Amino acid sequence: MKPNIDIDYICSLANLKLTKEERSLIGPQLMKIVEWVNKLEELKFEVSRGEVHTPVSFSLSFRQDKIGNSIPAEKAIASSPEKNNEFIKVPKVFGKK
Amino acid sequence: MNLSSLSVQKLTSLIVNKELKAEEVVLSYLKNIQERDKNFSAYITVEGEKALNSAREIDQKKNKGKLAGVPVALKDNIVTEGIRTTCASRTLENYIPPYSATVVERLEKEDAVIIGKTNMDEFAMGSSTENSAFFPTKNPWDLRRVPGGSSGGSAAAVAARETAASLGSDTGGSVRQPAAFCGVVGLKPTYSRISRYGLVAFASSLDQIGPITKTVEDNAILTQVISGLDPKDSMSSPLTVPDYQREIKEEIALIKVAFLKEKFIKDIDSEVRDRYFMTLRFLEEAGAELHEMDFPYWEYALACYYIIATSEASSNLARYDGVRYGFRHRRYSNLKEMYQNTRTSGLGQEVKRRVLLGTFALSSGYYDAYYLRAAKTRKLIRQEFESAFEKVDFILTPTTPEPAFLLGEKKDPISMYLSDVFTVAANLAGIPALTLPVGLTKKNLPLGIQIMANFFQESSIFKLAFLLEKKIKFDNNKLNLHRKEE
Repeated sequence: MKPNIDIDYICSLANLKLTKEERSLIGPQLMKIVEWVNKLEELKFEVSRGEVHTPVSFSLSFRQDKIGNSIPAEKAIASSPEKNNEFIKVPKVFGKK
Repeated sequence: MNLSSLSVQKLTSLIVNKELKAEEVVLSYLKNIQERDKNFSAYITVEGEKALNSAREIDQKKNKGKLAGVPVALKDNIVTEGIRTTCASRTLENYIPPYSATVVERLEKEDAVIIGKTNMDEFAMGSSTENSAFFPTKNPWDLRRVPGGSSGGSAAAVAARETAASLGSDTGGSVRQPAAFCGVVGLKPTYSRISRYGLVAFASSLDQIGPITKTVEDNAILTQVISGLDPKDSMSSPLTVPDYQREIKEEIALIKVAFLKEKFIKDIDSEVRDRYFMTLRFLEEAGAELHEMDFPYWEYALACYYIIATSEASSNLARYDGVRYGFRHRRYSNLKEMYQNTRTSGLGQEVKRRVLLGTFALSSGYYDAYYLRAAKTRKLIRQEFESAFEKVDFILTPTTPEPAFLLGEKKDPISMYLSDVFTVAANLAGIPALTLPVGLTKKNLPLGIQIMANFFQESSIFKLAFLLEKKIKFDNNKLNLHRKEE
């Protein structure tokens, strides 16, 4: 498979902006890496979305659905970049057009 | 008494028997850091005062823990309440976590002393510690060379006797490769053996915390303390943790060891290759049965790894958007721009490269061809190991294809990725693997051998490594820690 990497689209999905210099360096590097990982195409098998890989073979032990101790809000947001009392400040999500 | 040459077990027994104070031990290691770390740059943060206070408290305690007074350094992606945890990234440069990782709580419960936080490749992405946003770490055996990565600071700190032991994290070889480059012992345990709670996520289905130590026994002791079920990590195993320290000294029965076919080792460094065969001969003389084995899917492991790991990273690192913690860019006109400007300024080049690769592999139109194909390959690699361990007890490989390379030597990302050619398969399969030093090159650089075994066979790995350690007698005294920077 010869991929067509639309670097602007991928950057937008990843919430990244590349400078001109980064773009001219990282763009070709990505192409080269993708060509390199295309080695997996040598393996002849079908892939299906239903097949799930779990990294462990035992059944997962979920804890009981009970309220436990949690970090107080003040402590939890102490390292946030902008805050107001126990709230984190962010730019408006909904605004006037 | 040269305190920094003492093993973890010896230090603890002297402190418990009041022949030595924890405070003296910590002071001695802090002195080493002060004198030497300007040459190696193993640490991002040294917690001298806190460490001394903990040591004094331990000295006052009646019943002391299994690691009483043992200084332990932590890779800076293991969160520590009240101690800055940066992941060697500008984005977390001033991040003070509100909680500690489970492994930190378990170490402290046994009276270990957290002495500081070590340098690493940013978000554990790299094999040389050159991708730290702050400074590179240098290899204590040769200051012109890298210590390996991404846990380069943790490995260099143990080698340079700037801590008695350390913890690293291993997603594709990040404990084992730097341990091999620095001439120390490093373990990547079975996936799920050690809780990942409080380990900053890189690729969650591969990440494991592992100890880096001077000796195999020290490694067994630390592994025992930090292993076991943790309700805070639903992927942690409910299996009972064996008494590794006791079992390590038990007689090892006749064993079957697999070694790699020629095609896997034909291009590696000749001294690495010679040492590999020498180690196999040692084992044969000790009564082991050797089997040459082919692993047809192993040669796809690196490509598979770089799809799985970067896909998971692209999702895990989405959280560094300037909202809840860490760096936030000052200039933006809306939320999307705040995310973009923050991430663009806060993340380094290798992290961006991997996030973009992972985003691509998961994107519409490419998901089946890349991510799903890699997931299927991973399953085949795992099955290949499962069937190998029906025939043999261990698989031995070199840990790295070459000894420590020069700082700045590997500019092409793929040539850097190839450093992990022998290590990534264990992460993909989830099996345990340990590296131990087995000799030096003509240029006085350490070489490591990797021992892999079946799921939860850490105890067997420790036994074999202990036997090899006694037989090979790796000479650490050839490390000259007092020379000036060249």
